[in-house]
Amino acid sequence: MRLRIEKMNFLGYKRLDGKVGVRNHVLIIPSVACANEICNAIALKMKGTVSIPHQHGCAQLAFDAEQTARTLIGVGKNPNVAAVLVIGLGCEVVNSSMVASKIAESGKPVKNLVIQEAGGSPKTIKEGIKIAKALVSYASKLKREKAKPDSLILGVECGGSDACSGLAANPALGVTSDLLIKEGGTIILSETTESIGAEHILARRAINKKVREKIFEIIKRTEMRALNLGLDIGKANPAPGNYEGGITTLEEKSLGCVMKGGSTKVMGVVEYSEIPTKKGLVLMDTPGHDAESMTGLIAGGTQIIAFTTGRGNPLGSPIAPVIKIASNSYLYSKMKDNMDINAGEIVTGKKTIQEVGESIYREVFRVANGKLTKSEICGHREFAINRIGPSF
Amino acid sequence: MSKAIKNLILCHPKDNVATASSPLNTGTLLSLTEQKTIVAKEQIPFGHKIALQKIRKGGPVIKYGERIGRTIREIKPGEWVHIHNVVGERGRGKGRKKG
Repeated sequence: MRLRIEKMNFLGYKRLDGKVGVRNHVLIIPSVACANEICNAIALKMKGTVSIPHQHGCAQLAFDAEQTARTLIGVGKNPNVAAVLVIGLGCEVVNSSMVASKIAESGKPVKNLVIQEAGGSPKTIKEGIKIAKALVSYASKLKREKAKPDSLILGVECGGSDACSGLAANPALGVTSDLLIKEGGTIILSETTESIGAEHILARRAINKKVREKIFEIIKRTEMRALNLGLDIGKANPAPGNYEGGITTLEEKSLGCVMKGGSTKVMGVVEYSEIPTKKGLVLMDTPGHDAESMTGLIAGGTQIIAFTTGRGNPLGSPIAPVIKIASNSYLYSKMKDNMDINAGEIVTGKKTIQEVGESIYREVFRVANGKLTKSEICGHREFAINRIGPSF
Repeated sequence: MSKAIKNLILCHPKDNVATASSPLNTGTLLSLTEQKTIVAKEQIPFGHKIALQKIRKGGPVIKYGERIGRTIREIKPGEWVHIHNVVGERGRGKGRKKG
């Protein structure tokens, strides 16, 4: 494949841990659902802040609470975040001061408030606004500096797929992935459910035996979760709209899905919300549920997400710009307010997969430089932590 | 009879199905090669699959050069290939276990 494109750099926010942000958010994290509305109240009031309400943080079994904590810490450490305020209730499992101190290891300013210590909601909100004011003031003084593509982690996601996703948008995004990896960057391919039936393709490209075995392990684990219940994944994934769009089986969806990762070696496999230590193509074990998958990606340090869709999906992320790529021209014109790039011209023969892949690559750098994506402009900030156990 | 038109996407030479790149009406003549043509036996929606050859009952459906499922009845060339005549083979439990 031809991989010739002009050298791209971008201006980003250099963090103390050496990572580079493409956005500069002050993040307000509830360590438990009990703090959600207080975090929302502060974020609503203070410019430059964003809160990430969720349903977790307490009455969770150890392995599940650990995953919630890892996710909140990972999102706080993400280089798109300049500073953090963590708010807890005081009696929760996912303790807010633990979350705050782990995020502080990245060197960014992190503050912690506890509702039971502050004396209730109004007092916590009042104190939180005061802290947020100082953090926003700090963040606003940071300047963008020249950065290289090897500091980028691009998450590749697909949602609301149709048959054109596997024929146009996903292979084009695969070209983008190959281009970024060639420049030393990292691609995280997630959605394990949507690799079932395509694992042999990924395993063939594993860098070593350990990675190959891990690929088979995460796929078997996901498939067995349905089989052990005696249930059919096909009732949940593919979704009704996938079937309507021409996808017949999970295997067909998966074979189209994994094309987003391009054609390079698989360098590693990480757990949900785990920060990869390898560059190049990395797999993350997430469900096909897009909001949960994207939350795992941003906790893993992804600064930008490229998201293909055939049926039309508006999802965004609280801290990462999400670039929406339409797989067909009908969707692109129908939902133009949500779509950034049209890969539909591949289907009509007007453009090649290579050309669209290059245009996504250039868009990644425009967005890294500060261009807002449609998901950001439309205010999409969906955040959902993957749950692996029941509440108790 | 409609004219032979280019409105299919064939992903891989091994495939026994192709994807309609525009909606196909019943009777549409499709040129696979200069010699080989098939006729759409029924309406095929945009993005959906058409059989390029006979696929026996229980036989594999091949797209991207890979097996994407098996047929639940014989499919004739030109027929619409979808959930009414094909099933996936992965992640499918056979009813909740008892006890």
